[in-house]
Formats: sequence, structure tokens, C-alpha cells
Amino acid sequence: MSKPLTRTPETSDAPALTLTGISKSFGPVTAVRNLSLQIPRNQVVGLIGENGAGKSTLLKILTGLHEPDSGTIEVSGRPVRFRRPQDAVAAGFGVVHQEQSLLTNLSVAENIAMNALGSQDAATRYGWYRWGRLNREAEQVLARVGARIDPRATVSELSFVDRQMVEIARALRVDERTHASPIVILDEPTSVLERNETAILEREIAQLKHIGSVIFVSHRLDEIMRICDRIVVMRTGELVADVAKDEVTEDDLFRLMIGHAATATRRPDAARGNTAAPVLSVSGLTRKGEYRDVSFDVRPGHCVTIVGTLGSGRESLCRALFGVEPFDAGTFELDGRTVRSWSAAEATRAGIAYVPAERRTEGMVGGLDAKENMTLARTGGKGFLLRRRAQAKLAGEWFETLDIRPRNPDLDLARFSGGNAQKVVMAKWLHLDGVKLMILDHPLRGLDPGAAETLNAQIRAARDRGAALILLADTLEEALDHGDEILVMRDGEVTARFDAGRDNPTSLDLLEKMV
Amino acid sequence: MTAVTDTVNAAPPAPASTGTPVRRRTVTPTRVWQLAGPFAVFAILFAVVAILTPGFVGGNGLVVVAQTATATLLVALAQAIVLHVGSIDLSNAAMALFSAILLAKMLGPIGPVAPILAILIVGLVGAVNGWLVAYTQVPSFALTLGMLGILQAASLVVSDSTTVYVEGNGETVTALYENAVAGLPMMFWVAVLLAVLLWALLRFTVVGQSLTAIGLNESGALFAGIRTRPLKVAAFAISGVLAGFAGMMIIAQSGSASSTGLGSDLLLPAIASAIVGGTAITGGITNPINVVFGALTVSLIPIGAAAIGIPPEAQSLVYGLVIIVVVALTTTRGRGVVK
Repeated sequence: MSKPLTRTPETSDAPALTLTGISKSFGPVTAVRNLSLQIPRNQVVGLIGENGAGKSTLLKILTGLHEPDSGTIEVSGRPVRFRRPQDAVAAGFGVVHQEQSLLTNLSVAENIAMNALGSQDAATRYGWYRWGRLNREAEQVLARVGARIDPRATVSELSFVDRQMVEIARALRVDERTHASPIVILDEPTSVLERNETAILEREIAQLKHIGSVIFVSHRLDEIMRICDRIVVMRTGELVADVAKDEVTEDDLFRLMIGHAATATRRPDAARGNTAAPVLSVSGLTRKGEYRDVSFDVRPGHCVTIVGTLGSGRESLCRALFGVEPFDAGTFELDGRTVRSWSAAEATRAGIAYVPAERRTEGMVGGLDAKENMTLARTGGKGFLLRRRAQAKLAGEWFETLDIRPRNPDLDLARFSGGNAQKVVMAKWLHLDGVKLMILDHPLRGLDPGAAETLNAQIRAARDRGAALILLADTLEEALDHGDEILVMRDGEVTARFDAGRDNPTSLDLLEKMV
Repeated sequence: MTAVTDTVNAAPPAPASTGTPVRRRTVTPTRVWQLAGPFAVFAILFAVVAILTPGFVGGNGLVVVAQTATATLLVALAQAIVLHVGSIDLSNAAMALFSAILLAKMLGPIGPVAPILAILIVGLVGAVNGWLVAYTQVPSFALTLGMLGILQAASLVVSDSTTVYVEGNGETVTALYENAVAGLPMMFWVAVLLAVLLWALLRFTVVGQSLTAIGLNESGALFAGIRTRPLKVAAFAISGVLAGFAGMMIIAQSGSASSTGLGSDLLLPAIASAIVGGTAITGGITNPINVVFGALTVSLIPIGAAAIGIPPEAQSLVYGLVIIVVVALTTTRGRGVVK
């Protein structure tokens, strides 16, 4: 077993947060086991671990949603006990959750004030807003985190980065009431952002350590290495490493998280230079306000990745190909058959598989169990009666192949963690005969490296068996890694095309054409 | 043709059996209710009524309950299948009444074809409801409320605002009322048979699973390539056919129909039956067998209410309370709660 690489941080004062022997169990499952940890003042500490490593439970303990079974929490040397979320706020903890929690129909200032409404807050008097004061205070809070955002703007008008900054500003309001140095917890704040937006946010987060401490949770190891001063690794509920950034490499972190080294991800270039007839041929596809005059081909065993920021129109384009959004002009051909409009059901029967980015609301049907979800899609008539036994056998095999946990295909899919649910969503298409084209919209969003590695291998295997792929990747690296051809879109237009083999583009080449 | 067809299917490696898989269904109060609740409620209410009303079991009490439950059950099943795909149909009791009036008018002139024709006509009305809900995306609540008004007007016109009596060929349908199987009228058993068929459709067929998926998460079903819109039309059409059967039972029982008669009192008891039968108003959870017990319970309520001294005027009050209480008890409260 790897021994914890614990090193005592050299700080003059008491650390911002000290955890000693924290344990938390849910029934027979131990989520956090005897965890001891120090978060130094004015540092950004990265918290990483696979899905199910206990990160979420730890965060819930720190935000007062769960009480630990044993162990103590000290904030700036003073022992505290969080029975309710309000206790954590009072002790100086602010959280930015994975999903954005702003009310988009209200103004920035109102959202920032929301954290304090209900208590004696200066922005309200007898329950009435004092608008001048509300806006002034919001401006100050935003200035502290270095964001130039109009507090009067409606949140729905803001970009995702700006919204995230508003969330951080709101989380930081905690210290006004306590005068303690705040501890900001950022739970995967970048998972919904595109790469160039991430860069802006990274810079802002690095600034935060001047006013407090930051606990930063992310699955992107490169990002962790850029932002954090220290990195804490959890595996199966235990602390396996607490190291300074300079002491480790990305590969070390991967090994610590997963327990084994990363396998080589680059594939041989033999598949490139494919000349088979295209499976999909898109010509002049246009939807007003989304994308204009997009043309490209996808060949069997060939992967086209499309990169672009929000508003590039690439998601809308993919949804049109699958028949869940209309388009105004142009056509596409699937296996030589011209399509002017069709439904998702027709697209599925013609051999298109689609994995949507919105896993919970679009990718799966919560309430149906995992095996039913896995067999929901059909490429053709498979008879009138359900074949329950075949269904169970198939699900059992795929649960083993993809290492889906818990190993219970009869469980409601809504009860699986994100990574395991996504494996089921992918398996729904992978087991089908006759899938000619797979459209993958952010298939690895929010997954831990282990789950991502499993699904990456499946994506490659599907392509090696001759499926054509369209991939909208989370990161430019992922796009470069998978793409035989890379299309760059900006504001609805294709601004560049790179042949991975011939042009050998870098992330910078792509970024240049994206913004 | 390219060579890729049928090659994407990954052959999963032979599974290495890593211990016995965990197979544990979590037992939640909601789950217990969905499985055994409707029968238990019926059994308890039945026992109460049997104790309080001497001669209920020995006399023809059960026959009366089965008779009154039949039309309610059929309209409740019609409601359940629409609730199952996440919609609601406020017009199906009016459909039952409309088909009863049509049947009373047609039975004399055209004989045995009349029931089939009447059922098909309201089946078509149901399909129109479904088509409008699926393709124009008008909320089913508003749409079927409109259809309710249209059907009431149509009933008044067809019936000439009077009670329509069957003239000739009445025995075609009254046989359902007069003949008994195992002591209960045949028409009740026909309704139970239809409930079993509906249960089998939902439980064992691809169509049934697709309908369930639509009710649980319509977007998720759409993205799995399920034909969501034609299936919604089908659910509403099935609903219409079941309402047509209810109309036939009204004629079998009373030999007449009027736009102010039996059918207009069916909507509330039918919704109550579906809900007492464990049907989730949010969609995707329906057990037609339990709806049978739901309908029996709801038909027992007036008898039980009379036994404990509640006046008959308060019947609707009891149905209304039953709906509110059962929904409040069984709704999953996910919103506004920190998990």
C-alpha cells in the first residue's frame, strides 16, 4: 500500500482548518475513514479523488449537511461543531456548488444578497429592499473578487464565467458577519465551462487566496496543477496523499487516485488517412441564430471532433443531426440517404447513437432501473414482448465489462453516481447492432479519471470496429486526442479545419480560431 | 452499402464472476403502498362495511358494489393510462357518456355493430386529444378541459337534451348486466379482464416499457429514440376505447343515457379510483390491477359513508377528500428539500 505522503505545512499561525480523525458511515458503507487534514491560511488546496472516494461526503461535513460520526473540526484553532448549514456559514465557510444555483431571473445584487436575506441584513428594512444599498454592497463584494460585473444586470444575461464569479462573490459574503478569514469551497466550478473560460476563472481563483483559503475540487488534473499550492488525494474514504504541488507530477496524482498508472492514451496513427465512403455527409446545414453553412464528412472508423465556446452552435448542430432540433437550410446524407428532416426515433433506427450532455434530464430515465435504461434504445423492430431474461443477461455482462458499481442492474438508475450512470447511458448504445454513427456531446463531463479512462477505451474500440464518431469534447486535449479531423466553430461558423495527421495542431492553434 | 453495419456491436468479454451480485430491492413506504396498499385499503373498508351493515355480505351487497364499480373502473383505467404518460384527461367521463348516448341511439337501427362503432368513435376522440397534446404541445389539462366542453355540447345535441332509451336489440348489451359469473355480473368481469390486459401491456411489452419511460422522463425517452409522440397518441386512443367500454356498461346497466345522467358523475370517482389504486399523478407508475381495487374501494365509500351516518349529499366531499389525502400521502417530496 502507498503510505500517505503527509508533510506538516510550515505556518506561523494556526491553520485555517484542522480536521482530526473524521469518520462518517452510511449504514454498512464507510464514506470517510479516520481522516485528518490541515488547510493552511491563504492557500489554494486541491481536493481530488475518484467518484465515490468520499469527497462529496467530506464537503457535506464541512458545509454542515452531515455531522461526522467521530473526529473534530477546528477553524483557526477553535473547535467547532456544525449541526446545520447555517453553523458552517457562521464559521466562515462559503460554498460554490457544482451546479449553478443562481436565480437567473433576478439581478446580480439580489442574488448576492440572497445569502443573507432572512437574517438582519442591511440591504433590507422591514422586509423591503433598499436598492441603493443593495447594489452598492454587491459592487463592493464583486470588486473584492476582482470581477467587473454590473450588480443591476439580470443573471440570465451573464456569461457562465461571470455567473461563476457571482457565485464566488456570494460565497465570500460569509466573512462580513464573522470577521474570520473565510474558507471558500469550490466544488468542480469549471466542469460546466469551456476551456478558454476556465482560464479566466483559474486566474480569479488564484487571486482568492489573498483574502482567505480555498478548497478546490476538480477532476481536471492539469487544472489542479496550475491553480493549487497543495493537493490532497482521497481514495475509498481515506487520505492517501497531502503534498505540495512542486513535489508531484500529474502522473503521480493519477496513480494516487486510481491506484495504478495511466495507460497510454495516444492511439496509433494507422487509422488516419481513411478514404472509405462517408457515413455522414453534411452540406450547408444552417439554423438561424445558431449555425451557418456547416459542411463536413465523417467516415467509418473516423472521429471528427468539434471545438468551440458556448454559442459556437456545435451542440445545436449535433442535436439537428439526431432529429431533436430543426434546421432551416441545407441537408445531410446518412449512408447516401438524403435527410431534410427527421425525428430522433428515425435517426436511431437509421443507425445514429447520441449521448447528450445533460445526463440526468436527457441521457437517462430515472425511475427505470439500470437494465431497463440499458435496453431502452432500439435500432429496429425487436418484437412486441420484452425479453426480461435477455435484458438481465446483457446488463450483467456490461456491468462487468464497464465495472459499473454497485453491481446491481435492478437498481433505479437515478440512484447511481454520475460516472456509473454515464457508463449505463453509453452501454445503451454500445450493445446495439447497426450503430453507424455515434454523436457524443461531452460524454466524459464530470467523470473521474478512472471512469473517463474506461469510457475512452470504449469510444476508441467502437471506432476501431468501424463506427463513425462526432465528439464534442470537454477539453481541447481530449479533442486532439480523439480527433482524426478537428473542426473549430465560432459564432455558428466553421473557422478552421485541421487534419490531425497532416496538420498536427496544438491546443493553441485551436484556441486561436475559437475566440 | 458500407461494411460497418452490424459491426459496432461490442462483444463483451466473458464476465469474470466476481462474487454474487447484490440483488436487493429497497423497501420504501411508497413501494409497499404501490404493491399492496390498494388491496389492503379495500379489505379494511370492506370489513368495516360488513360489520356495520348487517346482511351486506349475505345479501346482494357485493353485486351492487361490483355493478357500480364497473363504469367507474373503466373510466379509471382510461385515466390511468393517460396519467401513465404524464398527462391527464378531464374529458374521459364525458367520452363515456357520449358513447352511451350514441350506443342508445344506434342499437335499435344497426344492432350488434353499434357497440363496436360507439367504442371506435370515442377511441377516435381520444386519439384526437392525444394528437393535439403530442404535436401542438398544448398542456393536456387545458386541452381536455376544452374537449370536455365540446363533448357535453355534442351529447346535448345528439340526445336532443332528453333521456335516450334503447329501442330494440337491447339484449345485445344487457346480457352483460343480467348474466353472472361467480356471483358477480359479467360486465364487471369484462372490466377486470381489460384491466389485466392493460397490466400485461405495461408489464411485458416494449410498447408498455416505452410508455413508462415517457411518463417518467419524456426527454430521456425521446433521446433513447422512442417514438414519444405516436405513443402518446396511442395512450390517449386506448383511453378513449376504455371510456367507450364504460359507455357500453352504462347502457347495459340502465338501458338509457342522458347528458345529465350517470356519466356526468363519473369524473371525480374515476380519478379517485386511479389514485387510490396507486397511480402516480406525476406519471410512469401505474398498476391497472390495483386500479380494480381502487374502483371497488371508491364504490364502497358511499355505502360505508351511509353506514356511519354521512348523508348522501356529502359523497363528492368524500371523493374530493380521498384524492387530496392519498396524493398528499404518496407524493414524493423532492422539491425544496436539501438531500
